[in-house]
Amino acid sequence: MTETFPVANPIWCAGCGHFGVLSALDGSLDRLDIPRHRALVLAGIGCSGMIQNYVEAYGYHALHGRVLPTATGAKLANPALAVIAAGGDGDGLAIGVGHLVHTFRSNPGITYIMMNNATYGLTKGQASPTSPGGFKGSTAQRAMDPIMLGLSLPGTTFLARGYSGAPEQLERLIDAAITHAEEGNGFAFLEVISPCIAYNDTYHDWRERLHAVDDDPNYDPTDRASAFRLAVEAQAERRLATGLLFRSEERSLENALTSDPPALLDITPAAHLDEYRQVMQSFAG
Amino acid sequence: MTVAAPQLLDDVSVVAAGQGGDGSLTVTTLLASLLRQRGLSVYTERDVLSRIRGGHAAAMIRASVHERFVGGDDVQLVIAFDEEGVRTTAHRLAPDAVIVYDDSAGPLGCVVPEGARIYAAPFGRLAVRHLGAILYKNSIAIGVATRVLGLDDGEVRTTFEERFRRYGQLILNYNMQALDLGYGLADEMGLQAGGGIFELRRGAIGERLLITGNEALAFGFLVAGGRFFAGYPITPASEIMDWLERTLPRFGGVVWQAEDELAAVNMTIGAALAGVRAMTATSGPGLALMQEGIGQAGSAEIPLVVVDSQRGGPSTGLPTKPEQSDLNMMVFGGNGEFPRIVLAPGHPEDCFTLAVEACNLAQRYQCPVYLAMDQGTSQNLATLEPFDLERVEVDQGKRLNAEQLAAAGVYQRYAFTDDGVSPYTVPGTPGGMSLVTGNERDEFGRVSTDRINRARMVDKRALKLERALDELPAARRYGDPAAPIGFVGIGAAFGPILEAMEELESRGLTNQFLQPRTVWPVLEETLEFVAQCERVYVVEQNATGQLAKLLVREGAESAKIRNVLRYDGTPLRSGHIVQDVLAQESKS
Repeated sequence: MTETFPVANPIWCAGCGHFGVLSALDGSLDRLDIPRHRALVLAGIGCSGMIQNYVEAYGYHALHGRVLPTATGAKLANPALAVIAAGGDGDGLAIGVGHLVHTFRSNPGITYIMMNNATYGLTKGQASPTSPGGFKGSTAQRAMDPIMLGLSLPGTTFLARGYSGAPEQLERLIDAAITHAEEGNGFAFLEVISPCIAYNDTYHDWRERLHAVDDDPNYDPTDRASAFRLAVEAQAERRLATGLLFRSEERSLENALTSDPPALLDITPAAHLDEYRQVMQSFAG
Repeated sequence: MTVAAPQLLDDVSVVAAGQGGDGSLTVTTLLASLLRQRGLSVYTERDVLSRIRGGHAAAMIRASVHERFVGGDDVQLVIAFDEEGVRTTAHRLAPDAVIVYDDSAGPLGCVVPEGARIYAAPFGRLAVRHLGAILYKNSIAIGVATRVLGLDDGEVRTTFEERFRRYGQLILNYNMQALDLGYGLADEMGLQAGGGIFELRRGAIGERLLITGNEALAFGFLVAGGRFFAGYPITPASEIMDWLERTLPRFGGVVWQAEDELAAVNMTIGAALAGVRAMTATSGPGLALMQEGIGQAGSAEIPLVVVDSQRGGPSTGLPTKPEQSDLNMMVFGGNGEFPRIVLAPGHPEDCFTLAVEACNLAQRYQCPVYLAMDQGTSQNLATLEPFDLERVEVDQGKRLNAEQLAAAGVYQRYAFTDDGVSPYTVPGTPGGMSLVTGNERDEFGRVSTDRINRARMVDKRALKLERALDELPAARRYGDPAAPIGFVGIGAAFGPILEAMEELESRGLTNQFLQPRTVWPVLEETLEFVAQCERVYVVEQNATGQLAKLLVREGAESAKIRNVLRYDGTPLRSGHIVQDVLAQESKS
């Protein structure tokens, strides 16, 4: 077996929420029997953007905010890959939020794990789009909720939220997310509340304010409007729901656009000369 | 009444002008088909505004016995649907030009050359009255115009049928009626069948393609094995995406319109990372957005082909007008330092050939490769010989498959090698798990700030380009290699330079022309060209002489370099070059 890159020890602070995500993600590849060479982990910029260094798989470090288009391009080029994108709340909801909106709309079969700690940890603790109003003196801006963003866009197919402090649930959610994308159902979005113990330690706070809907018989994850209403209500009380919050069925982008993986096609000119000549004929007038 | 003998022409430039939506492009496209049938070389230009309808819009077609890749200095025939169409063309009209004028709104009031001959009729009003739609005015006008040009009525009718058949019998009939109306008007104006004002010599140009640079480039990408394109609509590059959208899926490829250029370039990078030949195309404003992504590809060593179809800048600039002012951005853009290659078509055939080269070079050297186009090169139609498809080769560089990986004891994505190029494999290949990043990294791709490693990695990336020098596309050359005067130019400067050379030669100024097909790195051949000439005119469409300065920066003797610049948003013509050179020659 060829020697490949040694998986490193994370540089994250002891107690960082991202350890929980890493453990669940790494375990997921094994639980779902995904061979490591078929997995492509792409991460953005930030502490969360280091995760690909700690997983034995193909890894890519994207530009800040650009992990989703990169992941989409890779999935379209080779739909056989298990494409897992990861990043933080700044990467995904500030500089990258435009791409998130359009990835929701186009529904490519990728998993996106957004590690939300409501701060920019790596650059030493600035406010992010999910920081509550008044965080570090930032005034008027209210915290946004990516799940509500996803609910507001037609075409979204999998919206879930987990918490680093609830590892069993997180494992189930990551498995469900990756499976959703693997089975050709499209974009699986998983927000993970993943506290930054250095700049925004909220473990004690979240313990009270998160409630799981997994075992709630009254929660219907296929009802978009009711999921939205419940999210609005929770937001008013500074609470968040965890679990699989919404799922629906839409054709995935790669199923709409590809049959055989473009990256694996035979592109030797000799194999297509007659067809190329036919195309050239269309200019002969 | 004596009918004057037709004036025999081996070269004619015809302009159709009106408001956007009047059908000027349709007129020139039809004429293009007709004139090709006479064995003539054909070249078209367009002059439009950034609007859907209205505003001055014109198209020019030049037909010639000789190959020409630029509109003529003089226009022999203008077909104008309004006065503005004549006014804007007046300065280019030949002294005895013919003006076919739609006088629905009144007689022509502007100044025209003294010897100009006007044939006026109310095409628009007639179209509405007899055919129920003003759009048919251009078919009526064609009836008159083709009589002026001495083209055979039967041939015109056949071409009309071929052109309009696809729109259904009803529309075809209306157009044929419009044409007959036009012939009727022509008869009344003394333009009989078989007795035109002009007679066009027949040429010996054989079976050719009629194709734009954008189409040739897109086709080249297809034949090179390109199977992924992501882009965002922008003038004048959109036709590349349009063409690929219609054709690439047939070959299993994917074309995607992204939400913006940031997404487009990063999708292309993701696709290339996964191992497919991928390309994106844009113009100046979009390229400014893509700089971040291009730098990522340059740092992370990912093959990336980027087309910049340059237009008037800066910023939003002149969206529909030609310019060559992004060279600095292509050569120097992006933060930090990384290797990139800039190729530039000149002869339109280069659009096909260099698209293939770009794909091969990008994968061989694992870096960004630009194709520097411009509005004229992108959108003008030219008659070209069919491309030599058998000669196209696909070279994916040091790509490793599973067997090769297994044979290697260790796989490092950024391994140091003799030529700076590391063997690579793509996700999905067993045994090749690896890290790709824009950060500085060690050979395994792990983020590293180690000072020794850093310097080595910088040198590694630079080395790739040094080794590439021998394999980069060489220039086209024209003229006498001993001539004292040299020309250098790319893109839409190609055609006018070639034509200007003849005029200057006839005035005793022997000259030669080097059309570099690799702009960056600047090749030795270009510097040698400057060294062996006495003086070199660098012809380019920008205000600051970007190409000239690039040559000097890389070692060309600055005392020998002279600029011929144009930056008013109109195409370069051979007349401009001749006048400018004569003026500079008389001063020296």
